[in-house]
Amino acid sequence: MNNLLMIIDATSKGNFAKLTRHRVPGALPFGAKYRLIDFTLSNCKNSHITNVSIFPYGNYRSLADHIGSGDRWDLNRRHDGIFILPPKSLNLTVEDTISFQRMYEHIEYFLRSSQDYVIVSPANLVWNVDYNVFLHSHLMNKAGITEVLSLDKKRLRTFILSKSLLLEYIYNYDQIQFRNLSDVFDYAPNLKKYSYVYESSVYFINSSKELYEANMQMLFKSVRKEWFKKDRPIFSKETMSAASRYGDDAVVSTSIIASGAEIDGEVHNSIIGRKVHVAKGAKVYNSVIMNQCEIKPNAVIEHSVLDKETIVLENAVVKGDPDKLFVSEKKQIVVSNESLAILQVSSECFPYIKTGGLADVVGGLAIQYSQLGVKSQVILPLYPQIKNKYDLFLELRATEKVIYDEHEYRISLYALNNQNTTYYFIESYEFFERENIYGYEDDGDRFAFFSLAVIESLEALDQLPDIIHMHDWHSGLVPCILRSKQLEYKTLMTIHNIEYQGIYSNEIYRKLGIENAKCSGLGKINFMEVGLTNATKISTVSETYRDELKYEYYSKNLVDVINRRERDFYGVLNGLEDDVNPNLDLEIAMRYTLVNVFEAKHVNKEDLQKRMGIEVGEQYFILGMVTRIVEQKGFDILIPALYEVLNNPNIEFVILGTGEDKYMQSLQELKNRFPTRVSINLTYDATKPSFIYAGADAFLMPSRYEPCGIGQMIALKYGTIPIVRQTGGLNDTVDGYDLSSKRGNGFKFFNYDARDLIFQINNAFHIFTNLKTDWQQVIINAMNSRFSLTDSAKEYLELYRLI
Amino acid sequence: MRKTMISMILVGGRGTRLGDITNTTAKPAVSFGAKYRLIDFTLSNITNSNIDVCGIVTQYEPFDLMYYIGSGASWDLDVLDGGIRFLTPYSQKGDVLWQKGTAHAIKQYFNFIKDYQASYVLILSGDHIYKMDYQKMLDHHLRNNAEITIAATEVFDHEASRFGILEMDDHYRVTNFEEKPETPKSNLASMGIYIFSVAVLEELLNKADPEDIDFGKNIIPKSIMLEKHVSLFKFDGYWRDVGTIESLYNANMDLLDDPDYLGLNSSKHMPVYSKSLNLNPHVMLANGSAKRSIIADACLINGEVIHSTIAYETQIEANAKVIDSVILPNVVVGKNSYLRNVVVNKGVVIPNNYRCDNQDLTLITDDNLFEVGEIYE
Repeated sequence: MNNLLMIIDATSKGNFAKLTRHRVPGALPFGAKYRLIDFTLSNCKNSHITNVSIFPYGNYRSLADHIGSGDRWDLNRRHDGIFILPPKSLNLTVEDTISFQRMYEHIEYFLRSSQDYVIVSPANLVWNVDYNVFLHSHLMNKAGITEVLSLDKKRLRTFILSKSLLLEYIYNYDQIQFRNLSDVFDYAPNLKKYSYVYESSVYFINSSKELYEANMQMLFKSVRKEWFKKDRPIFSKETMSAASRYGDDAVVSTSIIASGAEIDGEVHNSIIGRKVHVAKGAKVYNSVIMNQCEIKPNAVIEHSVLDKETIVLENAVVKGDPDKLFVSEKKQIVVSNESLAILQVSSECFPYIKTGGLADVVGGLAIQYSQLGVKSQVILPLYPQIKNKYDLFLELRATEKVIYDEHEYRISLYALNNQNTTYYFIESYEFFERENIYGYEDDGDRFAFFSLAVIESLEALDQLPDIIHMHDWHSGLVPCILRSKQLEYKTLMTIHNIEYQGIYSNEIYRKLGIENAKCSGLGKINFMEVGLTNATKISTVSETYRDELKYEYYSKNLVDVINRRERDFYGVLNGLEDDVNPNLDLEIAMRYTLVNVFEAKHVNKEDLQKRMGIEVGEQYFILGMVTRIVEQKGFDILIPALYEVLNNPNIEFVILGTGEDKYMQSLQELKNRFPTRVSINLTYDATKPSFIYAGADAFLMPSRYEPCGIGQMIALKYGTIPIVRQTGGLNDTVDGYDLSSKRGNGFKFFNYDARDLIFQINNAFHIFTNLKTDWQQVIINAMNSRFSLTDSAKEYLELYRLI
Repeated sequence: MRKTMISMILVGGRGTRLGDITNTTAKPAVSFGAKYRLIDFTLSNITNSNIDVCGIVTQYEPFDLMYYIGSGASWDLDVLDGGIRFLTPYSQKGDVLWQKGTAHAIKQYFNFIKDYQASYVLILSGDHIYKMDYQKMLDHHLRNNAEITIAATEVFDHEASRFGILEMDDHYRVTNFEEKPETPKSNLASMGIYIFSVAVLEELLNKADPEDIDFGKNIIPKSIMLEKHVSLFKFDGYWRDVGTIESLYNANMDLLDDPDYLGLNSSKHMPVYSKSLNLNPHVMLANGSAKRSIIADACLINGEVIHSTIAYETQIEANAKVIDSVILPNVVVGKNSYLRNVVVNKGVVIPNNYRCDNQDLTLITDDNLFEVGEIYE
């Protein structure tokens, strides 16, 4: 009997967006006929491991279905076998790797097993390996813990240690500072650590892109040889399909085709799953097509990952590019861009009216859409600010009568065309001819009226929209009004900030002429809630924030609504305009790109130090911040942390922003304590944000929550390294730097806790001061990060097509 | 455990007409349609007809077949109170009881039937390609108060002398049966599928000559003679008995030419199951191409395939051309070779620059490689 116990870590959620909505990463289809976990399970069988457990998170139905009794891997046994150990406490947040606490939930399993050694390995590794080799070398080296790395030093999250040691960690999960084995390997003292470098082909698959790349690797003979060995076959669930069938006009080259596929069109450099049908005239290039997809005649597919049972309609053109793949959702029906018309409904839109980030997102998306071939339209209220500036360009389209609160109001619809996007403005003397755009007692009435007016104006638009995309609470009533008028438009509601929900008197229902509306008590109407309840699909601005909103801590009073809409809820990360670029920034002392960044950083740093009146010197590690100074941004942990880290005479701190008095006051006190190394700029125009983005070494965002966050993206583009809390968009844009693989673009911590923040600041400082080449590597990685608005627009388009 | 009806598959014969293909393989284990074995069809029919006991009577080269069928799990036939049983010759009081005909085997294992207290026994062959719901046949048997029911299908007149030919009256009652007649009196051919009421079967087996008991030769003619109620169940679907190289080839060509052949690719309505061999999907290399063809798992195609079926783990090298052919598993077709109108036996290695293109269908085996084709420079 084998002395090795296998713990398969399927707790990682990875970054797969739509692909993992119906399954955990381990259950992802791979290589035309496999699931990712087939590799790990087959390795177990081929290594004669008989005791295997899987720790999945959330929705593991697909995984359990695939594994069945485990008989395909000889794990359907009387003694030992395979065990799926689900999370007991559903309140544990999803973590990257399996935590000791998670193992403790099933401590019985560990106690009952008879093996002396444990291997922990993730479910989403593709390799063909004999685990006994690792154990052998662990024993030969008399190591306390062995970690397996790939040839390019990437961490494979695979560890070997004795069960007795593991049990110690598990029992004391609440006493020790290590959450998981990676922490142990990185930080545990007095433990002999050994890194085993695995030299054959291995892929740790943690994102759609990595899934795609690993699939494409199979087209290489050398990789196939390493993964599919006669003496160590990869076993998979038994399925039923005939052999692949090629038609009269099939043209196929350099591709892998699974059984049951029917090819009547062209396929090049692609992986075709079971029972896929590629119809006559259809063309597939450089793509991964999963089981049972149907590619209809004359469709063209390039650089795409199509999830199971996707249907691509006739003549539809689906083109991703290597950096931004097109990814479909299971059972999606894909139409072509050209046949889509979008109407965005918003209270603001750049460049016409802007008070915050929302305007940038709406305006940016609108332009991107028209560039991607979609009919792009935006509709907003006509504020006097817009009228004064653009009067000459506005074209009167229609006048309508709108009945609100039993009064008849006249509205005019103006249009303006810019870069193929049509912007519509609704003019109403009574509601929008005011000095400010928000902040009135009757804002509820104003935006209820706006929503109603939008619907009354639909017929007058250039093109009736296929999708109405509503942003934040202001347009939240649109789907509900549509329903009351029995209009069947499809809608998407995006949450940008759940703090602002628009709560007003439910008289508004009566005023809109909606009868029998369901009111959630207290005589109030909550615009956001009504929108989230009635929209066809809902979304928010990052994948992680989407997951966080399932918890009351983040979504507060709307937690039930959001959880009820789980299956229709998506996360799409905002992007940056391409002109956010230190090489186009005319304000900073020295413009730069990757080529001259190290030189320019010095110049800009010195410039910043001089402008801020703090000590000038290369040795200082400048922590920068550009932020609203409010509780959300993490000031409760930031200020104590700064008191601690500023004791280090080589750390400086610069902040620009304004907000709550109590924090601003504490910051002033901080300045008094460290006058030569702290600069506090508490009005928005006190200094230029660019000086900080270009001159600081690190950029702090210890936010308590952060739906998307824009500061960290700008900082990354400027090569200023973000130190962030692992929440919302921060988690999706920042990867922790890893010394062994040299990957990652910043530093992040998990707990909302000053100690954790201090730890990461010190960690960054240590690398900055003592490991110069590593620090340069982080800067290069940061500047190479990609957050393009085009990507967000493409992502939204994929979502529109889903609706 | 009492079962209403159990099934028995007669594998018996050597299948000499399939030539070297059956040298090391029992006929039902012969590859068909690139990824199937002949027996897949019968086993799938059994499981799709909700019959969960299946005795497989085998004596010739049983190893490959037994290994392939295993526990029967691939056809959901690994049930606790039934499932697959291999009924091989055994020795009794010192004598090995070789089976002397199809029915003799049933007689030898009559206890198997008795164990399940079955009322009806379904007798099947393992080498036919068709989809049939045997419950419908049992319904027919019961509705007609039959003691024996024979499934029959219409065949072309010119083929009729290959089969057992039946005649019937207006009430589907069989009035005459002739095994392989020189001048057939009808074109209704017995498919070798019978339902017997157990008591009648026992009676007939006991009365038969122990030296030569065969369903077609003795049992059926005798039962008609004894005026048993023999009923005919007419089957209208696709059915092929692939007893010869030609019929094996033709059935493969039928599959090629009909994209919906037996609904093989549909998982609904009587799916045909096959044992998964844990093979990776096939690879079409840069110079490979395939038209009107069927290619199974783990093939490497770098040559040209036209109107052919290519079974699993076959390698077709650069500039090789395979036309109108049936390639059985594990074949290597060398560079620049040219094959047309051939069946290549499993495991044959076709050398580079080999050519075989005959007017008549040709079976290529390791032994006749250079008799039927030659190397061109």
